[in-house]
Amino acid sequence: MSANVTDPIIVLENVDKFFGPFQALKNVSLSVRKGEKIVVCGPSGSGKSTMIRCINRLEEHNSGTIIVNGHELTDKTNDIDAVRSEIGMVFQSFNLFPHMTVLRNLMLAPRLVRKTNKVEAEALARQYLERVRIPEQADKYPIQLSGGQQQRVAIARALCMKPEVMLFDEPTSALDPEMISEVLDVMVDLAREGMTMICVTHEMGFARSVADKVVFMDGGEIVEVAGPTEFFESPRNERTKLFLSQILAH
Amino acid sequence: MSALTGWWDDFFWGSVVVGQVFFVSLILMVVFGLIGAAAKLSKSRVAQRIADAYTVVFRGTPELLVLLLIYFGSAVTLTAIAQLFDPSVKFVDIPPFWAGSFSIALIVGSYATETFRGAFMGVNPGHIEAARALGLSSVQTFFYVRIPEMWRLALPPFGNHMLSLIKDTALISIIGLNETLFAAEQAIGATGKPFTMYIVVGCIYLGFSTIITLTVMALEKYANRHLERAR
Repeated sequence: MSANVTDPIIVLENVDKFFGPFQALKNVSLSVRKGEKIVVCGPSGSGKSTMIRCINRLEEHNSGTIIVNGHELTDKTNDIDAVRSEIGMVFQSFNLFPHMTVLRNLMLAPRLVRKTNKVEAEALARQYLERVRIPEQADKYPIQLSGGQQQRVAIARALCMKPEVMLFDEPTSALDPEMISEVLDVMVDLAREGMTMICVTHEMGFARSVADKVVFMDGGEIVEVAGPTEFFESPRNERTKLFLSQILAH
Repeated sequence: MSALTGWWDDFFWGSVVVGQVFFVSLILMVVFGLIGAAAKLSKSRVAQRIADAYTVVFRGTPELLVLLLIYFGSAVTLTAIAQLFDPSVKFVDIPPFWAGSFSIALIVGSYATETFRGAFMGVNPGHIEAARALGLSSVQTFFYVRIPEMWRLALPPFGNHMLSLIKDTALISIIGLNETLFAAEQAIGATGKPFTMYIVVGCIYLGFSTIITLTVMALEKYANRHLERAR
């Protein structure tokens, strides 16, 4: 497993995705190397979420190739559940299991998918709750937590599967402003530890400080890919300039 | 109460039969309901149509008629088949216990189909996606996420279905099942006191339905525990 650090862990090539007659992704190509942090931004409806949802096959793309950790997603011989277990995903709306305590939310997948025994799964869960700084909430139900705490539990739940890649689908968009930083802090920690991350977000401060590459999407296409300094200081495409002027105006 | 002397045994064993029919038909009803709901929610047009036909027929016809059709229909069929092999056979039937349990489970199961379908649709699709994204299979997601979440929504109407079931057991006396109403008819024949005997049967059913109602209340409390503990 001494993979070359420059080997891409996720490759999208000429990916198209349609919802009925509407084309959500147009000829999207992107390559992500191990340890890279990618921030994806763009106006709503630009295909950002669709793209990362295609990476763990929550959406099935119509043409093109997606390779995750060496597995071609359309290849029927691949066990999609096994591929998914290598990819952590954090949703805008948290999506914790409401009928389970925080601890059981974290233990569920390791126990069912990884067949970890109960003692080990619980130790793992408590370890990750510690990492997202809410070990004291282990026995509560999701509804008893604030939005920021729920999102940190969701991050811990994904981390319990020890994923190779983490996908974030607008993780702070549903949060009250005062809770955004506690979630971003956890994500910054994760980035510093070398996790491969693809984040759909409008948190430009986060993009500046952790992103290796910023991807700008509009109308289902990747319009511009650049390092954060270049992206914010000297964007090349007109649409990128317009978008940046709109979100950085205030 | 003296009129009841000598009949307590019959009412007691009748109640045991009611309990047995209820238990068997409850299990069948849940199975029929889940299959029906799964068919209605499936992508297969054929499965959807069959499930639609099932709910239309069994929700749209009198329960007594369904019971008689199933019992006598199966008896006529079985008798005809048996006579092919042995012409001296006069009458073959499915035991009233099984024909009756099956019939009322089929009827109430058609209502449960709609209940379960609605409850499954009430499960947040994001929770299902989260489970799949973690690598759970669709079967694991069904049992660990969809069923537990659906259950909370289905419970209140499901309590009504259980009350329907327990009351429908009284119909089965018609095809000769030895339950409480059957015992009452015999007691009336011997004592000529219909009012007393029917009141006894009524009290027995009230006892059953009270137990069911209390059980459902307790289950609802359990199913909603994560909501009650909210701040």
